[in-house]
Amino acid sequence: MIEIKLVVNEKPYNLNVEPSERLIDALRNRLGLLGTKEGCGEGECGACTIIMDGKTVNSCLVLAAQANGSVLTTIEGVGNRRSPHPVQKAFVEVGAVQCGFCTPGMVLSAKNLLDKNSHPSESEIGVAMSGNLCRCTGYDKILRAVKIAAEEGKQ
Amino acid sequence: MKTSVVGSRVTREDAWGKVFGQTKFPADVNLPGQLYAVVIRSPHPHAKVLSINCDYALEMAGVVAVLSAKDVPHNAHGVLFRDQPVLAEYVRMVGDPVAVVGAETEEIAREAAKRVQVEYQVLPTVFDPEEAMKPDVLPLHPSLRPTNVLYHMPIRRGSMEEGWAKADVVIEKEYNTQHVDHAFLQPEAVLAHLDERGHLVVQTATQYAHYDRGEIAHALGLRFSQVQVKTLAVGGAFGGREDISLQVIAALMAWKTLRPVKMENTREESFYSHSKRHPMRMQYKTGATKDGKLVAMEAKIVGDSGAYASWSINVLRKAAVHATGPYVIPNVSIDSYAVFTNNPFTGAMRGFGAAQTVLAYESQMDLLAKEIGISPLEIRLRNIFKVGSTTATGQVLTSSVPLDQCLAKITPYLQRGGESE
Repeated sequence: MIEIKLVVNEKPYNLNVEPSERLIDALRNRLGLLGTKEGCGEGECGACTIIMDGKTVNSCLVLAAQANGSVLTTIEGVGNRRSPHPVQKAFVEVGAVQCGFCTPGMVLSAKNLLDKNSHPSESEIGVAMSGNLCRCTGYDKILRAVKIAAEEGKQ
Repeated sequence: MKTSVVGSRVTREDAWGKVFGQTKFPADVNLPGQLYAVVIRSPHPHAKVLSINCDYALEMAGVVAVLSAKDVPHNAHGVLFRDQPVLAEYVRMVGDPVAVVGAETEEIAREAAKRVQVEYQVLPTVFDPEEAMKPDVLPLHPSLRPTNVLYHMPIRRGSMEEGWAKADVVIEKEYNTQHVDHAFLQPEAVLAHLDERGHLVVQTATQYAHYDRGEIAHALGLRFSQVQVKTLAVGGAFGGREDISLQVIAALMAWKTLRPVKMENTREESFYSHSKRHPMRMQYKTGATKDGKLVAMEAKIVGDSGAYASWSINVLRKAAVHATGPYVIPNVSIDSYAVFTNNPFTGAMRGFGAAQTVLAYESQMDLLAKEIGISPLEIRLRNIFKVGSTTATGQVLTSSVPLDQCLAKITPYLQRGGESE
């Protein structure tokens, strides 16, 4: 076992993890953060996207031990019913949510984009969301939701 | 008619839970003391299982049970026919489940699955549906059909002789479509357990909870009232969750071990364990007069049902019914077939057989237009269904046929040569 320290959603944790343990498994099984989803296990679909030290990563491709010393944000750390993040609000209002399995990863990719670039162009939005696959919506409403969230942030 | 919903913006009830990551998909539910189960699948497309040696698997610490065909009371399930084994003794496709390991952790279950030794007698295979439908080819389901032809739908309208006599232009082509996977984003997962009543509770993502309950009850020899299927959030389906995947196997493991049982497919296992879109071979012959009126069409559609029937009959029926497209053709002869092969089984997927024939009939329209020297839009305008039209199956369309309005809407786009404004 390897001892790691990390901050998840602003809370510090000390964890003992297996050398081969993936970050997604540490989050889901050790911390009970089940909002991070596994769709493919090989970095194709982006359902397991989290924010790690200001960058989006596929948590299925990161070893838990590699996250030692990192600051992570998972979907549980973004918004709540009383005060949803503008991205979450826009996703609901526009109808960008269907089956919802890709949604946590989508929200985190969009949030991280807007954290860094509050005035993204359409192509910047497209690039930022390109690592997240959705099989239901056809993407149009997802991209529209990110645009609306960005505009709301400008006001 | 006025309603408060149609024409207004409605927020999905479940959208908020999903944007906060709170929604429970079947992979997100667990019970104390649960086992993990992993399926051993056939690497062969056609084989008999001669023996299964689980000694090396059972030796491993943490392995609780290895189950195979002999452990299933009624070893069959299926949406139209119960032609699919829960755990196969006779394998008809790569990926057929042969045995299942239950263990204390997923790691142990996956390792133990590798140690189960299955001896197969490999049998001759058939992958081409047109080859498979020949009467002298060994049938894959002799108790269901004497040959591999599961289904034949003929449609006849008018007189082909008269139709071809009127045709100035005839286009004859073959079109082929391929297997497609739904690739719903959430791989199959199940949690099965026995509740305080001794009833089986199966939590899963399904399109068809009542059918799942029936198949679980049938396979295990239970009453419907002893099985409860709870549908959790469904992470995409598109037809791919209409058939049974892991539900019966997880229920069986829970029933035999009296422990809660969790199963989760990897993406690779998911590809092996659910249906695909039917590949179709479509031979089309379409005739029109020189002023662009369709007069005759012959089509032969052969759909690859793969190893099991699933919804193939309904899918190939729909392919036949939609074979002319939305066009009036007075003389029609259509033959649509569903054929068993050793390919992955095919079933429901978005469009249910209506999607494949679009490739054929719309390509035929474009080729006819080119041959006659009119625009692709013009040939469609001269033949589209309108109120009062009769379809190839003899249905008279009495309302809601706004294809002329659809074409009018896209006419400016077509006139710009397909460029956006």
